[in-house]
Amino acid sequence: MEEKPILSAKDLELKFTLRGKVMTALRGISLDVYKGESLAIVGESGSGKSVFTKTFMGLTDANGAITGGELWYKDTDLTALKTEAQWRKIRGKEIAMVMQDPMTSLNPLKTVGWQIQEAVELHQGLKGAAAHAAAVEALKDVGIDDAERRYHQYPHEFSGGMRQRVVIAIAIACKPQVLICDEPTTALDVTIQAQILGLIKDLQKKYKLTTIYITHDLGVVANVADRIAVMYAGDIVEIGKCEEVFYDPKHPYTWALLSSLPQLGVKGEPLYAIEGTPPNLFVEVHGDAFAPRNPKALNIDFVERPPFFEVSPTHKARTWLLDPRAPKVEAPERIRHLKEQGVSLRVQ
Amino acid sequence: MAKYIGKRLLRSLLTLLIIITIVFSLLRLMPIEGYFENFEKLSTAQINVGLRQLGLKDPLPVQMINFWKGVFKGDWGVSHKYRVGAPVLDIIAEKVPVSMKMGLAALGIALLLGLPLGILMARSTRTRFKIGDKLGTVFVVIIEGIPAAIYHLLIQFYGSKLPGFDMFFHADRPLTWILPIFSLALGNIAYYAMWLRRYMVDENNKDYVRLARAKGVSGGRIFSSHVFRNAIVPLAQFIPTSVILTLMGSLYVESLYSIPGMGGLLVQAIQRQDNTLVQALVLIYAAISILGLLVGDIFMALLDPRIALGKKEGDR
Amino acid sequence: MALFRFKDRKTEELAAHINDHAKKMDEKELFSFAPYDPNAGERGGYSGYSYWRSTLRAFRKNAVAMFFLLVIVATLLFTFVEPLLPYEKEPNTIYYSEQVQLDLFTRQPKLDENGNPIVKVDLSRDIKPGKEYWFGTNAIGQDLWSQIWEGTRNSLFIGFAVACVDALLGILVGVLWGYVRKLDFFFTELYNVFDNVPQTLIVVIISYILRPGMGTMIFAMCLTSWLATARFVRNQVVIIRDRDYNLASRCLGTPPWRIMVKNLLPYLVSIITMRMALAIPAAISNEVFITYIGLGVPLETPTLGTLVEAGRKVMSSASLRYQLFFPVVVLAVITISFYVVGNAFADAADPKNHVN
Repeated sequence: MEEKPILSAKDLELKFTLRGKVMTALRGISLDVYKGESLAIVGESGSGKSVFTKTFMGLTDANGAITGGELWYKDTDLTALKTEAQWRKIRGKEIAMVMQDPMTSLNPLKTVGWQIQEAVELHQGLKGAAAHAAAVEALKDVGIDDAERRYHQYPHEFSGGMRQRVVIAIAIACKPQVLICDEPTTALDVTIQAQILGLIKDLQKKYKLTTIYITHDLGVVANVADRIAVMYAGDIVEIGKCEEVFYDPKHPYTWALLSSLPQLGVKGEPLYAIEGTPPNLFVEVHGDAFAPRNPKALNIDFVERPPFFEVSPTHKARTWLLDPRAPKVEAPERIRHLKEQGVSLRVQ
Repeated sequence: MAKYIGKRLLRSLLTLLIIITIVFSLLRLMPIEGYFENFEKLSTAQINVGLRQLGLKDPLPVQMINFWKGVFKGDWGVSHKYRVGAPVLDIIAEKVPVSMKMGLAALGIALLLGLPLGILMARSTRTRFKIGDKLGTVFVVIIEGIPAAIYHLLIQFYGSKLPGFDMFFHADRPLTWILPIFSLALGNIAYYAMWLRRYMVDENNKDYVRLARAKGVSGGRIFSSHVFRNAIVPLAQFIPTSVILTLMGSLYVESLYSIPGMGGLLVQAIQRQDNTLVQALVLIYAAISILGLLVGDIFMALLDPRIALGKKEGDR
Repeated sequence: MALFRFKDRKTEELAAHINDHAKKMDEKELFSFAPYDPNAGERGGYSGYSYWRSTLRAFRKNAVAMFFLLVIVATLLFTFVEPLLPYEKEPNTIYYSEQVQLDLFTRQPKLDENGNPIVKVDLSRDIKPGKEYWFGTNAIGQDLWSQIWEGTRNSLFIGFAVACVDALLGILVGVLWGYVRKLDFFFTELYNVFDNVPQTLIVVIISYILRPGMGTMIFAMCLTSWLATARFVRNQVVIIRDRDYNLASRCLGTPPWRIMVKNLLPYLVSIITMRMALAIPAAISNEVFITYIGLGVPLETPTLGTLVEAGRKVMSSASLRYQLFFPVVVLAVITISFYVVGNAFADAADPKNHVN
């Protein structure tokens, strides 16, 4: 991949002050996102995936601050943006967001149409009847029937899935380059999930969007993403194309994550679960954050942070196991032959 | 919507009925000297005759029915002390206009000053030193913390030294209206400012505000068309409370400034133990409070599209 | 210097073990397997959140509230200690002394035929603050200093009594209201009806019907105020009963008492503390008003209300204004202190404010 990334983080470090203590939420994280691709960031809750994407839009909570590293959107240095006015050139216009809970992310006292039109007027420079038409168009775009009538309804008259469509319509109405979907289907019924994911995929094609998914659900990832970044304790431990990470995972955490997929469970046997809990980020992490939970950890995992080792030009992992000096450790049995077994992670 | 308001109206009427029944029963326990002009000089026999004439020897339910009949016929009894023999409704009717003008003016001023103060404070919480918020909080704490009786007194005392102002109310000198109206408004100004600030800060932390920020809406616009607009809705709930606040304030303020209004009248009726007058005034005050609550709920319904559907969000 | 600074005890052991070896370790050893402790991963520990510690911490951080808390503690202590101090005067004793006789109208000293002021033994009335009477005396020659502290005691007693009844009755009824579904309708209707009537009006009616006094005042103020507390408690109980996370907790076998202790108790304690703190300024405020309309406690029981009212009557005379000034200042300091502390505690007890 020779082209320039549209979004790029280099050794980004972000700290929160909480009850007088400092918490390092992002520990020198690096990521390049390329135009038109669809990237999924996967990790447990608390791994910092939402915090990470919020920094792209300057929406970090007030008690958090970037303390190191770089963050670029095209040629804009995002760490240099200080005022709200500067950020407004990015928010919505360049990068838009779909949030997790459609029940709370719409203003309950404004009509759905009004809320879409607000975005239209801001970013498409339309006014009056033209803006109204564009808002109705956006509603149709996300597959809402009878858009003209629905325009005048309030959020409480919509179901959860429909509300998420409206939230997507608002994001699309901004005409952004990048769309961040923060757990877009977590709060929805399983039957609705596939519809919403399909919708986002269609819109991505139609508007040539770059999409970033945040999820803890590997099933979602398999459905929509070209590339996967696995996050653990505020850092990306493995990144690569979907097939590479699924069928040839290198980091012990990725192994553990894949092993815990319920699809891989054998009937009658207990499901695999990762031992322990994610590390306490109030305490400084040394070496590989996953080491204390990793039965096959090396001594050096407790001493030094592993660098990224390249597996292929598109596949990298942060684990000492890839060092030529390291003993050879195989991925666990149950995930070693996913490809041969033709296990499909897709949900339909 | 009409259905909701109708239901709400019926409820209020029911509440009013219950309250009046309770208050009426309670007031039967009033000291009996309050029914006679010259109690000390009367013999026990004369008192009993008098009580019988007033129907106060009847069983309670009978008294109740008679009272209700009277209420609907516009006969609320006659004064025994304040102005002997005059129907209490006539006495009260004279006093209503002044009280109403004062109360409405005070409410208006409270909204006019309280809301901007609340907005100022809420906006200030997002600045670095929060100076506006701190100053506003000091004001709110002083007004809410110190008993109203005390600051009314101090305002009267120090305010009346200004040229044109006076310790007492004169209907023909508008300047003398200012102090009592301002005194009445002060509590509500603090009240509105405090709650509007709190609600605006609450709204500001909600997801939809985050989404609005994410779509690039400017801070000023988020404040005006999202946060302020939504914070006003729960504030409507406080309209009844502020009506009650003004009413109760008027008892003290009107008598302090010798304003010929209903509040001052109640204080005088109590001091002179005029039972019928006290009874009528207490019932009227209770009715106004209930009306205030009703108005507050109707406001809410008009401002919040969800309410008419019967989905009231949580409890207060 | 140690290579590692792990905070957990068990990890420390592990770290110490590695630390010992780290310096000696060569490449080969670094790339061999570390001893695996299956418990190591469990020690996430997170921030060690504790509700009470965070509440106290949030409160202590509020310097203004801490200051007013100090004022309250000092005032409370002093009102108890004051009568025990030597040379303290009796609040209700009327003092006599040799007085220069003043002309009733001109308020100038009356003179005898020699031009000397006439001195007689008389009530020590309206003596300005000084060495003998720190806050002066009132219109009938009582010591204002001791009257004010006696008044503070009485007013605080009324406030505490109201707050206690309010809390006790409120919690009792609130828990019943929340748990016994059959009672829900009854209490909800009761609340809806009485919530409409302003408390001041109720206090006025009750004081009018019964004979004025401390008991009457406490009774009148308690009569409906507990309904609001009960309602708060009821809502909390319903939440505990029905919320999904508590349901989940019950399904996992958490015993009910633990849910109560963890969820209801902190809530109740904060409610009680807050209402206690806020009931006192409210009670004092009601009392001042009731005294003003002539339904207050009898004069032989001084309260802040009666003292303010006595001061009000003489406020137009500049030389006697101290009789209003002292009670007002003491009253204002007390009510503001309680108000600020009550609100600050309510804020501190709210877990939302435990961030930062």
